[in-house]
Amino acid sequence: MPSALSLQGLTKRYGTLTAVDRFSLEVERGTVFGLLGPNGAGKTTLIKMLTTTMRPTEGDAYIEGRSVVSAGRRVRELIGVVPQENNLDRYLTARENLVLHARMHGIPSRDYVRSIDELLELTGLAGRRNDFPDTFSGGMQRRLVVARALVHKPRLLFLDEPTTGLDPQSRRALWEHIRTLRSEMTIFLTTHYMDEADSLCDRIVIMDHGKALVDGSATELKSQFAPPHIYELEVKRDAERYEELFRALPVVTSLERDKEAFRIVLKDEESLKLLLDSIRSGDIRKICTVEPSLEQVFLDLTGKAVRE
Amino acid sequence: MMLRGATAIFWRDLIVLRRSLLSELLAVVASPLTLYLAFGFGLKGYISSVDGVPYAIFIAPGLISMTAVLAAFEEGAWSMWFHRRVQKTIEEYRVTPITVYDIVVGKLFSGFFQGGIKGVAVAIIIFILTPFRFPLAHLFIYLLFIGLGAMIFSCLGTICGTLMDKPEALGRIQTVVIMPLIFMSGIFFPLSSYPPAVLPYIRLLPTTALFEGARLALLSGRGGILPLAILTVTAPIMFALAVVVFNKKIEE
Ligand SMILES: Nc1ncnc2c1ncn2[C@@H]1O[C@H](COP(=O)(O)OP(=O)(O)O)[C@@H](O)[C@H]1O
Ligand SMILES: [Mg+2]
Repeated sequence: MPSALSLQGLTKRYGTLTAVDRFSLEVERGTVFGLLGPNGAGKTTLIKMLTTTMRPTEGDAYIEGRSVVSAGRRVRELIGVVPQENNLDRYLTARENLVLHARMHGIPSRDYVRSIDELLELTGLAGRRNDFPDTFSGGMQRRLVVARALVHKPRLLFLDEPTTGLDPQSRRALWEHIRTLRSEMTIFLTTHYMDEADSLCDRIVIMDHGKALVDGSATELKSQFAPPHIYELEVKRDAERYEELFRALPVVTSLERDKEAFRIVLKDEESLKLLLDSIRSGDIRKICTVEPSLEQVFLDLTGKAVRE
Repeated sequence: MMLRGATAIFWRDLIVLRRSLLSELLAVVASPLTLYLAFGFGLKGYISSVDGVPYAIFIAPGLISMTAVLAAFEEGAWSMWFHRRVQKTIEEYRVTPITVYDIVVGKLFSGFFQGGIKGVAVAIIIFILTPFRFPLAHLFIYLLFIGLGAMIFSCLGTICGTLMDKPEALGRIQTVVIMPLIFMSGIFFPLSSYPPAVLPYIRLLPTTALFEGARLALLSGRGGILPLAILTVTAPIMFALAVVVFNKKIEE
């Protein structure tokens, strides 16, 4: 049985820029796969190649065993695509947008009428079925794009930054919807929201500069890459003096200060006593441990410089 | 099913057209009708006939053909540009199992259809204003000309809408290339007005074949073979070109 998705040395160059660099990957059926990376990492380029709208410079990828290079049409029968930018037809109503998609997939009308009604119901758009997408909120438009990608019951669903720009309520609603789909299809999504990856994805790959950096479940990545002994400490006075003091301690492996608040990474648990001993009693306002987060892993791996 | 995608796209364009049909027809009929009134009636006392044909009747077939092919061009150009650059719906079409041919053929149908109904609308009004008689067989050949012309201009529009990223560029092509080509091919004056040295080249233009040929076919039923042959050769070439250009552009 072929895996849902198999990338073999997939590469895309724009002139001299290598946007995706010899990417290889296997994704099993039924996985919710999350591709994480900062802006410009190459996520969209990768998805465009996998969805056959862009030809790889080198390498190939297989969707359920079918090559995106030589069997594009067959691949497109199997995939649903939610692109980064909504591309709804604003001259068609919500329902007509779905019907057009069904017709392009060659689904006879006796089959699509019911399933389109169900999808509109499921995405909470049934009441607005005859309205134009222009009149929809961002969240509703996004849900309509997702509904459209599901009309032909794809085996593999691609979502490129599905919740970017949505308010928290809409994001959660969309997550709920994606969760209900996981039993029926393989899901491949990109995001730069760590909470999204953490709560949705079974498996995460973090990429940057066209290359995969790490691969694993959220738990695995956190335990493997986030330093476990992180503390937040706030002092009442003499923050500058304490900074110098802490920096001199050999058990402190990393330290950041924002006014009176410190973020300190220690070598091990025993080091905590040494740290506390160095502070005058009564100077501590607050001390607590910090759970390792995916965000920390992400920042450690991709650096802190802002991407355009 | 063959051309499933093309019919889906055509279906889409029909729905959209149906919603705005009346206002579109009004807008599209306005300019040829103005020309017709200005030249056909306004100049009535100055130009009585061209080659023995009353001037109003001389220009009528050309105005109808012009409306049809311009509508086809505009539909091809602006809709391709809009779907590609504004709505990005071309991207949506391209992740469904349809082919590049489907998209180009679908747009061709639409351009063809728009040209057809807009041409007919102008024709009806002109015929009401100036009743003139011709045998039905002439009308049939005339429609053949318009059909081929609409196809060529629809493909030309598709090519422009594919290549131009900016709307100004599209507008410019229309005023700098398309309109002169149409006016040069003898809608308002007989080709015999050209200096003899230039005339053979003018006759080779597909637009000349179209407008001059269509008029001759409708009014006299003569001289249709060469222009029809030129158009029959041009149409598939334009279609192939449209497919190649579109395919190349969207692959990036
Ligand atoms: N059509 C293009 N032509 C040239 N460079 C491009 C093109 N599309 C993307 N890029 C560049 O490729 C890199 C990856 O872009 P992209 O795949 O959009 O990243 P992401 O989706 O992760 O933000 C970026 O540096 C971007 O500027
Ligand atoms: Mg992107």
